[in-house]
Amino acid sequence: MKRAVERHLNILEFTLASLLRRRGKNLSLLLIYLLVIFMLASLVFFVSALKREAAIILNDAPDMVVQRLMAGRQDLVPDGYAAEIARIRGVTAVRPRLWGYYYDALNGANYTIMAGDDAAAQPGQASIGARVAQARNLEVGDLLPLISYDKAPVMLEIGSIFPNESDLVAADLIVVSPADFLQLFNFPAGQATDLAVMVRNPKELPTVAAKIVSQFPDSRPVLKSEIQRTYQSIFDWRGGMTLMVLAAALLSFIIFAWDKATGLSAEERKEIGILKSIGWETSDVLLLKFWEGIVISLTAFLLGVVLAYGHVFFLSAPLFAQALKGWSVIYPRFQLVPVVDAYQLAVLFFLTVVPYTIATVIPCWRAATIDPDAAMRY
Amino acid sequence: MIELSGITKSFNDGKPNQFTAVDNVTLTINPGQITVFKGPSGSGKTSLLTMIGCMARPTSGRIFLHGVPAAVPFQLEGVGAVEITSLPERFLNDIRRSTFGFIFQQFNLVKGISVLENVMLPAYPTGEGRALFRARALDLLEQFGISRLAGQRVELLSGGELQRVAIARALINYPAIIIADEPTAHLDSKLSQEFMVIVGRLKGEGKSVLIASHDPIVFDSPLIDALVEMRDGTVVANRSCR
Repeated sequence: MKRAVERHLNILEFTLASLLRRRGKNLSLLLIYLLVIFMLASLVFFVSALKREAAIILNDAPDMVVQRLMAGRQDLVPDGYAAEIARIRGVTAVRPRLWGYYYDALNGANYTIMAGDDAAAQPGQASIGARVAQARNLEVGDLLPLISYDKAPVMLEIGSIFPNESDLVAADLIVVSPADFLQLFNFPAGQATDLAVMVRNPKELPTVAAKIVSQFPDSRPVLKSEIQRTYQSIFDWRGGMTLMVLAAALLSFIIFAWDKATGLSAEERKEIGILKSIGWETSDVLLLKFWEGIVISLTAFLLGVVLAYGHVFFLSAPLFAQALKGWSVIYPRFQLVPVVDAYQLAVLFFLTVVPYTIATVIPCWRAATIDPDAAMRY
Repeated sequence: MIELSGITKSFNDGKPNQFTAVDNVTLTINPGQITVFKGPSGSGKTSLLTMIGCMARPTSGRIFLHGVPAAVPFQLEGVGAVEITSLPERFLNDIRRSTFGFIFQQFNLVKGISVLENVMLPAYPTGEGRALFRARALDLLEQFGISRLAGQRVELLSGGELQRVAIARALINYPAIIIADEPTAHLDSKLSQEFMVIVGRLKGEGKSVLIASHDPIVFDSPLIDALVEMRDGTVVANRSCR
């Protein structure tokens, strides 16, 4: 056992000395390899983290949102719907919500405007997201001028600015009083954008949804699980799009690595012959090549994953943010909660380290099986 | 003692270009002696040495190693001999590693690594502790007066220095038998004579030395004990020089 370990250590040591001989070739290979792993691992980390963030946020979302449709488009919901739905058995609460989007011609950004309760915003006041404050250069106590749908100015005093930590949900948010909301959008009273419905037993959600549709044929209940699934699909789709862009780089790397790993130079062949002639077995030579492949690919893999971890979770992935978070003037700035998907990392490992190592060992097989006496005849 | 019985080695058997390099050679090589195989190019010297050194198998015939401490379970009972021609590859490797040291015509050192690493190279796969064979390699370099070159890359060495590194490498695993194929082919007369002095010293340490050469400095040396003359794959003369 000890001899077997010593044999591995000795051959590994010779591998390192051997790799240092072809410093330029191996370093360039390592760097490109590292870059590819870094990009792929960043993508994996970022998409996993975003999906998890979305899942955490949606946990606090209502069990069901009821919309009303008119000619296939979303329309306002009369408050009377809320009272009727609240009577359905199993429904614990129904809350009409007032929200919409406001295009700010000044900077081309879209804000999400929501009517909150009195605690969030008194009439004439607004609570705004940190990115909105930044975009409009606002502080608490300043006035935020908005233009209503009647083209009348609506002046709102900034009551509070949401902290940076809530950026993911509140970056572009402006919370106003219901009265200011109605004035701003010229919104008809007694109507809501949609209804947030809470149900006691989540298993009853489909039944409650069916009852709502039966009672109000023009309504469309959207379950929380459906929203979660949509978010997952969106991030998977965006991840896939980015992967497609990376595919060209990945393909170039595969061709480059294959060429470097498989191409045995005449000098390398001669070296294998020398090793055989001085007592190395075929398995020793293959072990040497195996370690060569492992040293390069594992170093690139580990370094790439560590750098990707830092890039995504400490620097918030500046290289991918625009492509993966969405397209907007206002981007939420937030620290992603580190989440490592072991399965995806394992897949990345088996798609990079394993093929590279095999590509290093296989071409040596033939060279390593030459008769040891060949070296006598060089 | 090495015993060769009816050794034949032919290449491309059954094809129009079939060629017999060694033809029915029967020979006994005594231990602790310098045996020189003399003959022109193509006479079968190198082929014979590769078969003795477990690098190649004969087409027919048998080779016995007597009194060689080989770590294989094929020792013939009572005879103290190992019949190497029928051994599986793994055991042949073990014998080659532990029993033979090789010095090649072109030295066959690995470029880009240091002299010390080259000397240690045959010991890497043996599973022996690195510190042990490193100390042994340094000791060998000291013996051959080239310890100052230990850290230097081999491509920067002179012919004589390369020769000494190659000899040191051949000795790293304590071999009982040294096989040298045309060792003086690339050396001038002075270095060739120095080589023979080193060979004499190895003989003094009890090692058997087999040399294939057509260099008079080697086969006319007073140090040699036996001279085997070969031509066209056969032994034409086998005489003791003592």
